Amino acid sequence: MIKHIILIAVGAGLLACSSVDKIILNSSSSANVDVVNHDGEANTIDSIVAPYKEELNAEMNAVIAYAERPFERGRPGGSLNNWAADALLSSQIGKAKLSGPVFSLLNVGGLRNSINEGDVTLGDMFKLMPFDNEVVWVEMPVESLEDIAAYLTASGGEPISGAELKNGKLMVDGVNEDTKTVWILTSNYLMNGGDNMNFFQQKMSVTHTDELLRDAFVRVAKEQKLLLWSDEIRIHI
Amino acid sequence: MERRRFLRNSVVVSGGLILSPNLLSQSWGKRDPKNKLTILHTNDTHSNIDPFPENHSKYPGKGGVARRYEMIQKIRSEEENVLLLDAGDIFQGTPYFNKFGGVLEMKLMSKLGYDVATMGNHDFDGGMDGFVKAKQYANFPFVCSNYDFKNTPIDGHTEEVKIIKKGNVKIGIFGVGVELKGLVPDTKFGETVYLDPIEIANERAEKLKKKGCDLIICLSHLGYEYDSEKVSDRVLAQKTSNIHLIIGGHTHTFLEKPTEEVNANGETVLINQVGWAGIQLGRIDFEFDTRLFSKKDVLVVQ
Repeated sequence: MIKHIILIAVGAGLLACSSVDKIILNSSSSANVDVVNHDGEANTIDSIVAPYKEELNAEMNAVIAYAERPFERGRPGGSLNNWAADALLSSQIGKAKLSGPVFSLLNVGGLRNSINEGDVTLGDMFKLMPFDNEVVWVEMPVESLEDIAAYLTASGGEPISGAELKNGKLMVDGVNEDTKTVWILTSNYLMNGGDNMNFFQQKMSVTHTDELLRDAFVRVAKEQKLLLWSDEIRIHI
Repeated sequence: MERRRFLRNSVVVSGGLILSPNLLSQSWGKRDPKNKLTILHTNDTHSNIDPFPENHSKYPGKGGVARRYEMIQKIRSEEENVLLLDAGDIFQGTPYFNKFGGVLEMKLMSKLGYDVATMGNHDFDGGMDGFVKAKQYANFPFVCSNYDFKNTPIDGHTEEVKIIKKGNVKIGIFGVGVELKGLVPDTKFGETVYLDPIEIANERAEKLKKKGCDLIICLSHLGYEYDSEKVSDRVLAQKTSNIHLIIGGHTHTFLEKPTEEVNANGETVLINQVGWAGIQLGRIDFEFDTRLFSKKDVLVVQ
């Protein structure tokens, strides 16, 4: 009789101890699925977004330029790389005090969205360059070009304008054997070592422009009206 | 059908020695929905609230929080236990972030019913005060296990681990992030101390196992894989034990379905990542096979 009670007690204890032995992945139902715009009914999310969207759209839907073909980023180069680096260079060229050899350098990772064919809006520029990075002029010793060439070779290419990477050497327009320093136009993010651009530690002087890179892009896009498209290869690896 | 037979046999072999059929029936009858779990997840949504425009060169008409909400609601109506997770980089990428500082992202994720998220490097873009300010609008916790936020404004606003019970299953979640130096301006992460993700992952996973978690998930913003020696989700999976699933981000990697790695103990670990911008929603369905006596928590792919 006593034996019986013990057995029941043990049984109840075991039941409580029932625990996970196997975790079985259901491979047939586990899949990553596209979120597709069904043009369905507006739902509660749309109503939360609406006031924010209205405020934004008023500002962002302004058309500032036109793109005859899409601009894409890439490595070693791409049409978007060229546009961004050219725009940065042309936004500063002609400014007082910027003398001597100068080129622009950005990073592929920082170009956050393609420019699509068609109207280019202020919002597109925000998508391309969402970060509030400032345009800076960095004065570098000419010897640093070797380190920059090595960086560009290792990374597989970054947007540049006013320079070309060839046979492992970075050829900057206007550099000759008497050249001591070179100006690089870039963002404060990269100058401060962003994307591991550690070569900027060799900088000799910095000029702050107080202009956001995005604002410089917007300014140049408005000037161009029809965005200048080029797939010229500037990085030869 | 085949699996059911297999399960029945294995139950009889392992537990049939002393138990009455009554006690066994829970294992071989119709599967208890409380032993099922559906994990839905996103990563690197980057403030993409609206769908991509129809003229977008790569993802025309895809994404959008409203559509994601519909998909999630539909799955919630079909499944009893749903866990919704995000692996970081919620912020930055559209003017919604520039203008509203991440508040809308947090409000929407709360409405979608996110259970847990971790921080990506871009979630520091508004500065640490900016993150804390936006996070007021989140009704879900952030787990960050390898950022030591003591002496920063974020201190006390994230958690080391989170344990959630869904149905019969106890789930332990922790988060690991990427090294911020070089990715994020120094001023934006301040005195945040970066701790080795592998060491921390091993510690946290073991802790969660000891606390009786049946399933251990790592939310990671390390990146799926690299050509270099840099720590990635694949490396993390191989060099740790006790983690069953890594939900990744950072490298914007589109995987068709979860990939498998073998961990330091010779057991299977799953890794999943769904690109970026909310273009996809990840889904992982688990069924939990319960047994008396043994607690192995072994992951099996079927």
